[in-house]
Amino acid sequence: MKIAMLVYILMPLSIILAFLWVPPAQFLGEASRILYFHVPVAMVSVIAFFVSGIYSIIYLYDKEKKYKLLEEKSFNSARIGILFTILTIITGSIWAKISWGTYWNWDPRESSIIILLLIYLAYFSLRSALSNNSNKNMLTSTYLIFAMIVVPFFVFIIPRVYPSLHPDPIINANREINLEEKMRLTLLISVISFTMLFFYIFNLTNKLSIITDKIEEKNYEE
Amino acid sequence: MEASASIKSVVSNLKKEFTIEFRNRFAVNVALSFAAISTIAISLALGGIPISPKMKAVLFWIIMFFSAMNGLSHIFTREEEEGTSLFLRLNVTPESILSSKLIFNIIIFLLLQIIITPLYIFFLQVEIKSIIPFLLTLFTGGLSLASITTILAAIVAKAGGKGSLFTIISFPLVLPVLWIVINSTFISLDKQNYYQYNNLLFLLAFSATIIAVSFLLFKYIWLEE
Repeated sequence: MKIAMLVYILMPLSIILAFLWVPPAQFLGEASRILYFHVPVAMVSVIAFFVSGIYSIIYLYDKEKKYKLLEEKSFNSARIGILFTILTIITGSIWAKISWGTYWNWDPRESSIIILLLIYLAYFSLRSALSNNSNKNMLTSTYLIFAMIVVPFFVFIIPRVYPSLHPDPIINANREINLEEKMRLTLLISVISFTMLFFYIFNLTNKLSIITDKIEEKNYEE
Repeated sequence: MEASASIKSVVSNLKKEFTIEFRNRFAVNVALSFAAISTIAISLALGGIPISPKMKAVLFWIIMFFSAMNGLSHIFTREEEEGTSLFLRLNVTPESILSSKLIFNIIIFLLLQIIITPLYIFFLQVEIKSIIPFLLTLFTGGLSLASITTILAAIVAKAGGKGSLFTIISFPLVLPVLWIVINSTFISLDKQNYYQYNNLLFLLAFSATIIAVSFLLFKYIWLEE
């Protein structure tokens, strides 16, 4: 309930700040306003992935089945995550077109978001292939944990082991966000509000799962 | 005492795997024919047009990746298809099963590389400028590919061994390996006496992490509730 209130206050606030209050960046002009939507959406897509991974770990270690519907919850998080990943790719490629002239040019950040999308797609394919299996929850959870181990290799280790990889142009193009107070504040508020939005939707889908589960149980009893 | 018993069980499992494999040679044959066909197809389609070392490295590892996809999942689907998995589950600990299957897959994949690499060099006129880094890349790349595909094969076997599913779930997790290995192979094809062990270190670290987590999680995949 509290999260819902925060979302209703923060979301409009961050939209207003992003479009009206913040001055446009020096080189990019008005197009720079996409920053306040692209960065938070990208962060949420990673957060959603780790939330579903953490739920999977809890599921494997919870042998007495203290918590209910953990696998469904991690699936819910992944479902929201793939939506945010697609939004990240769309907003990112629009921005790339404006600042570098092409929609897609395989820099490390772009590659890592595509990997994330592929992992989500693979997870959904695996989950649907296992739909009749009694061991489905265990198998999908272990797959998510493996994926969660591989992603840091991609995002953090490859750029460091590799001297030949370019520094990320996304950060370079907007070094000014570190300079201007207003931009930093707007970005922070926007990140917080999008994260809140994620948890708000996540809670709603979880409630839906609980209700569906109860209905199924009732049908089964009858 | 216990350690020697588990080593014994791993060895006997391994013996069993090799006996079954070389009774009909299915996995090896499929992977080998696939690799040979794709190598010859590429060579034929190019028709003698020279390609850059980068392209050669990319094609080589694409062939390797898909041969792995064709050959390595068989190790677990075989148990499910022939109905022998229940027997294994009852009699052998999950750890020794995973060890034997992992060792088997690594050996098979290295064997495949030993056969495919000369074929590829022969058909595509590949000139290797630094031979030792090239061989080390082959070895560590094969190790990483085999270690990640083994555990994913265990998951896929439970899904009824649906063929393309294995490729779909493996691809995103194998990508870091492919990325590094292609670059490393390219360097060894392109530059003389070039020694850069960062890539090999990455591949070894990757396989070690994956193998460690495989041992932690394998019992959840293997044993049924």
